[in-house]
Amino acid sequence: MNIFWLMMMLASIFVLLITSPGAVLSSMISASTDALSLCIELCAVYCVWLGIVELVEASGLGEKLAKFLSPVIKKIFKVEDKTTQKLIAMNISANMLGIGNASTPMGIKAMQALDDGSGKANFAMIMLIVINATSIQLLPTTVIGLRASAGAATPADIILPTLIVTFATTALGIFLVHSINKIISRKKRKNQ
Amino acid sequence: MSEYILPVLFVLLFIYCIYKRINTYDHFVKGARGAIKLVVEIFPFIASILIAVALLRVSGITDFLANLLSPIFGLLGIPTELCELVLLRPFTGSGSYGILESIFTTYGADSYISRCACVIMGCSETIFYVATVYISQTKVKKLLYAIPVALFCSLVGTILACLICKVM
Repeated sequence: MNIFWLMMMLASIFVLLITSPGAVLSSMISASTDALSLCIELCAVYCVWLGIVELVEASGLGEKLAKFLSPVIKKIFKVEDKTTQKLIAMNISANMLGIGNASTPMGIKAMQALDDGSGKANFAMIMLIVINATSIQLLPTTVIGLRASAGAATPADIILPTLIVTFATTALGIFLVHSINKIISRKKRKNQ
Repeated sequence: MSEYILPVLFVLLFIYCIYKRINTYDHFVKGARGAIKLVVEIFPFIASILIAVALLRVSGITDFLANLLSPIFGLLGIPTELCELVLLRPFTGSGSYGILESIFTTYGADSYISRCACVIMGCSETIFYVATVYISQTKVKKLLYAIPVALFCSLVGTILACLICKVM
């Protein structure tokens, strides 16, 4: 991430130095203003969702959900710990319902639970990032809403194609992470 | 139809809480309290990525890359009109929704381009944003192969989306 960010910054500032040097600082500040207003919005959204999540946990529904999903999570993530399983289960369920903003706090908590302090992402963390990146959505609510307000005749006709693609990419992601992990651990065994 | 799902789930949750004799108000407040702390912690990460993306756009590098990559995208079956969306999608959620809306107004919400764009939005995520924010509260510095795999899956999803929208 460090190198990547540095490259993005250096390349754009270098180009802007030639084309319009005055735009550098102003666009940086306007972007961080955007970030601040996004965070205020997110804070409001998290407030609602973390409240709801607390109710889900306190009522024992979280455990039920985790128990229901735990065979799948155990198989995909190879995680035995019950609290971690619960956090992953809630993160993925929120993703499925299309409430991406609600899944973020659970994702952060799940990552903290998975962290082994080695400074490197482990198998389960990589899996969680990839599954979140391919976004298993059952209902792309925001996109349908935007499309309806843009005056589409049948705004919901993208649901089925989205479902097909999202399932295919998620399956591909799980398969790739598993295979790469297998190759890496096999190499490690050979080297020992 | 879909607007009923969440309210119904909320009602069921509250009824379940009454059945379990839980002080809903106390617990909701307790959960909501975590929001401010969380946002304060992730703000610097969000700001840094948005600053880099803004500079990329203002400097014209994204336009340049979109032009440069459009022949490759053409080979993969991705319409050149979608280049900017495909390039910026991994970085910014709000930015890509902005591009989606401009696609709607330029090509019409029912056009092939718009439907492709919708499916691409639905099956991908802001990968770099998710990755930075998710690991922001851990000690992890190296993500190993997470980002390449995620980007590859998104690309496959994009190609698949453009294909499926042709037949469906």
